[in-house]
Amino acid sequence: MKTLVLGLGNPILSDDGVGLQVVRQLKDRFDKPDLGFVESSTAGLDLLDLIAGYDKLIIIDAIKTEGGEAGQIYKLSLEELRPTYHLASPHDINLATALELGRRLGMALPQEIVIFAIEVADVTTFGEKCTPIIETAITKAVRLVAKELSEH
Amino acid sequence: MKKITIDPFTRLEGHGRIDIFLDDAGEVANAYLRVPELRGFEKFCEGRPVEELPRITPRICGVCPGAHHMASTKAVDAVFHVDPPPAAKKIRELFYCAHMCHSHIAHFYALAAPDFVVGPTADPAQRNILGVVAKVGVAAGLEVIKHRAYAQQIQEVIGGKATHPVCGLPGGVSKAITEAERQDFEGKAKSLVEFAKFSLKLFNDVVLSNKQYIDLILGDTYYMTSYYMGMVDANNKVNFYDGDIRVVDPQGKEFVRFKAADYLNVIAEHTEPWSYLKFPFLKKVGWKGLVDGTDSGVYRVAPLARLNVAEGMATPLAQAEYEKMYSTFGGKPVHHTLAQHWARLIELQYAAERLLELCQDKEVTNPNVRTIPTATPTEGVGVVEAPRGTLYHHYWTDERGIVQKVNLIVATGNNNAAMCISVKRVAQSLIKAGKAVSEGLLNMIEMAYRAYDPCIACATHSLPGQMPLEVVIYNSQGREVDRLSQYTS
Repeated sequence: MKTLVLGLGNPILSDDGVGLQVVRQLKDRFDKPDLGFVESSTAGLDLLDLIAGYDKLIIIDAIKTEGGEAGQIYKLSLEELRPTYHLASPHDINLATALELGRRLGMALPQEIVIFAIEVADVTTFGEKCTPIIETAITKAVRLVAKELSEH
Repeated sequence: MKKITIDPFTRLEGHGRIDIFLDDAGEVANAYLRVPELRGFEKFCEGRPVEELPRITPRICGVCPGAHHMASTKAVDAVFHVDPPPAAKKIRELFYCAHMCHSHIAHFYALAAPDFVVGPTADPAQRNILGVVAKVGVAAGLEVIKHRAYAQQIQEVIGGKATHPVCGLPGGVSKAITEAERQDFEGKAKSLVEFAKFSLKLFNDVVLSNKQYIDLILGDTYYMTSYYMGMVDANNKVNFYDGDIRVVDPQGKEFVRFKAADYLNVIAEHTEPWSYLKFPFLKKVGWKGLVDGTDSGVYRVAPLARLNVAEGMATPLAQAEYEKMYSTFGGKPVHHTLAQHWARLIELQYAAERLLELCQDKEVTNPNVRTIPTATPTEGVGVVEAPRGTLYHHYWTDERGIVQKVNLIVATGNNNAAMCISVKRVAQSLIKAGKAVSEGLLNMIEMAYRAYDPCIACATHSLPGQMPLEVVIYNSQGREVDRLSQYTS
């Protein structure tokens, strides 16, 4: 089974880069031929190019929820993200729509998708480091994803 | 009417919010587009070597990084007072035409087409790229994906990376194009020219032949007059990569023509306490508020503006479409905001033709792609036409080339005032005596918003359950009477 671990985020907007940081720490711990690690700062249609050809996709990204506590980590399925097929951005399509589009066009997309989302604090200040609580969460997230990779 | 103070420090969710204020009679008095603030960009850049900015600034946005990279690279050329060799300029322009193709294809099929191909009053669950593919067929859908990918692949080879290019250097680019690469690009460019024709035909068959859509495009709801700004070559034809910047007045007459370095003589920025995004306006005309017309310094950028400013397109197929558009509207300039989508496809045609021209230019494989700077760095401005409009990068450095100060006017920033006016106009036509607040209203406002293809302070994360735009309506006492957002959980 070919698995892709995909870290998403903006590396210069503080906590927004948390997904990238997690992948960076993970990739040194694993060296398997059908396991890939990618850091990406893109979304929507561009993601289809990255994920085609894999059986399982693990996404790691920042999240902001109402009432969420910074540092909390959620393991979500695509359905739990309550995606809609409407636009999630003024200039791109969201993950659910991109995946559905790929499927309808016959692209070979992952059958299994797991999302690790880290509740963040600051995504509007320019900076290359995460805030302290999130730095701690990175370590925890690395452990959780590593567990997912070795157990499945 | 009660005076309301809008606190700009209110946390905004999603990408933007529109606040609509009603007067005592329940009519729309004002509409304001508010955006989240990103803090500390200047501080983040200060102290860095200026040649790093072409790699940093593309990360402001995950959608038009190519535009930021090019504007930044040109600004760095200017800081170092260096002129790149011709092959480097052609390579940059070739890359950049691929970027325009990539961006315009994505915008039309994912964002504009759903309203027109599926229909503005159709069920929102259908009004997206999936609905478009259902209507045009899987084969056509695959062509969209394929051609977007062609444009992306050209960018990746020249730029050095997918999405965030790194090829721009002071005085040139990091590597030359090989003959094998040139041939590969040429094949893709030819296919893109054909795909642009297909897209224009689709627009013609689906949109221009449909009276309901024509009425929407030509109606008052989406009409506003303004000045227009865009980059043109020596013959006053649209050029995305280089040239002078030209402004025409609402009657289409040239108002001013200037070089990138002189932009501060032409543009000033107005601030409002309720918005982090400033409002650029034409200094000579002055800031008269959020109003349109000849006496207001509000101007617009992006595809429709570029075509209004220019005297034609530099390539034949695009020129024919340009003439068709203006004869359909009965003259220039065209003020109908929804015509942006048509203009965008005409630009796609030009970008593909120009891409092919550059691929077939023998000089593009010349190995001399860099002039090493020798002058002491000081200050420089770089301007390109981003997919969303004129983009200005201005850097100041010390004598070692370390950044002291940065000023950017992003493409969408130029359109800030016009977007507010457009949104207000839509709201005014659909809210009367405090009534008719419905999901249809929200989509009509979104259509105005989408026509501008705004790129406002984007991070690249997705906020599940949130929508990109929320509309809040206040009565004349400042009390919230309705809040519209699609698909909240």
